[in-house]
Amino acid sequence: MSEHLPQQAPVAVEVDGVEKSFPNGLRALGRVSLSIREGEFVTLVGPSGCGKSTLLRLIAGLIQPSAGKVHLSSAARASDIGFVFQSPTLMPWASVERNVRLPLDLDGVPRAQSSPTVARVLDLVGLNEFAGAYPRELSGGMQMRVSIARALVTHPKLLLMDEPFGALDEITRNRLDRDLSALCAKQNLTVLFVTHSIYEAAFLSSRVLVMSARPGVIADDVPLDQPLPRDDNFRAAELFVQTSTRLSAALAAAMDRPEQSGRAAEKASP
Amino acid sequence: MNSRWLHIGAPLAVGILLLLLWQALVTINDVPVYIIPSPGKILATLIADRTLLAGSLLVTLEVTIAALVAAVVIGVALSVLFVQSRLIEASLFPYAVILQVTPLVAIAPLIIIWVDDSRVALVICATVASIFPIITNTTIGLRSVDPGLLDLFRMHDASRLQTLLRLRAPSAAPYFFAGLRIAAALALIGAVVAEFVAGTGGARSGLAYQILLAGLQLNIPRLFAALALITLTGIALFLLVSLVSRLALRRWHESEVGQDL
Repeated sequence: MSEHLPQQAPVAVEVDGVEKSFPNGLRALGRVSLSIREGEFVTLVGPSGCGKSTLLRLIAGLIQPSAGKVHLSSAARASDIGFVFQSPTLMPWASVERNVRLPLDLDGVPRAQSSPTVARVLDLVGLNEFAGAYPRELSGGMQMRVSIARALVTHPKLLLMDEPFGALDEITRNRLDRDLSALCAKQNLTVLFVTHSIYEAAFLSSRVLVMSARPGVIADDVPLDQPLPRDDNFRAAELFVQTSTRLSAALAAAMDRPEQSGRAAEKASP
Repeated sequence: MNSRWLHIGAPLAVGILLLLLWQALVTINDVPVYIIPSPGKILATLIADRTLLAGSLLVTLEVTIAALVAAVVIGVALSVLFVQSRLIEASLFPYAVILQVTPLVAIAPLIIIWVDDSRVALVICATVASIFPIITNTTIGLRSVDPGLLDLFRMHDASRLQTLLRLRAPSAAPYFFAGLRIAAALALIGAVVAEFVAGTGGARSGLAYQILLAGLQLNIPRLFAALALITLTGIALFLLVSLVSRLALRRWHESEVGQDL
């Protein structure tokens, strides 16, 4: 399992001096370098608009960096990335099963081959009874589980998650966090997870990266020396409390610092 | 009071009440039949002239349906074209608007002069009248795609065709059906207006021709009977399109979810 892996494991994602400015002059992302090892669960926290989502989209190859390079190891090529969006982003006209099958359909995998995989990932997220249901018939938490199943259906090595549980109530969010932790450890996934919540970050992560306000740069790198997966007991552990406190302070400091330069960049834009 | 009774029973009751009132007023005041015939007289005319009127109804219906089909095929094809390229949309869309804002009665005579076959001319007129809501609605629908899903399609290198069929087309369906309801009514209006303009041209003529002729002959009951048939045809078309829309969307779209058939 992944307990002792992160320090020795090969690098899955290497972000090297990446910057991103948009055509309107907005500097979304300052100079960011980071590397993620296989089996790590890395979380990005930071104030809104600091470029967390931009960084995720850069790694997914959805947008190109203005400077620097993103390198994915062969184990995590672009086609092997699972992406989970802020909202469930399901097709409302299709059943849960067809939604989960979509990535395989787009990749041209025949039905006979994809059906057992779809059934297996639905089982992983605990939704096999709802294969025939439509998204509108499910709760917000269940829709998010469908979205996670869809991201897992291509057997990705790397999972990118953009504030997936941000819109859910706390009880649902905690339960999904616990299930996600178990799921990722079991599948030996490498995860880059974006959140607003320092508690969610502290609970899930083997490492938390704190980003500063726009233009975002990495202000702090906080490791959590506690094996994955975590269960609810961890929320009472001293390490959890200490880390939350540390993240809270780091986030407060990050929010203060380069705010002016961010504003200046915005003003400079037409 | 359940909702089915409310939506079918209530308007039906109002209709029957109005017809009874009409009948009563005409009978009590002894209104001459060439001013306003009573509903009973109109019904009697409908039955007496059924062969003539049914033939005309068929002509108008054929023109309307042919025009609606043409509007859907051409309109959807243009929308798909518009969504492929902003240049194409910017170049062609203004002409669609021009087609829409030019009164049909003004261009119908030209179309009827230019096209030899009067039936084809009528279909062209009705198509021009009904195509615009199909184009605008379908174009907006094809563009109203969840950006996250679009990202997902891009991550999997989906082709334009895959994106169109699997993502854009279903996203556009509710918009398309809303446009189709408007277009169905416009196609009928277009067919009737064009027939009025064409006048006594064709050998087999539709309901508008019957109205025109009945007016000239002061056969007012027949005029009303033809008018009633046009109205009923419009209602039937609307219900048919609504039914198709409901069948297509009832499992997932908010506008139709939970509705009985």
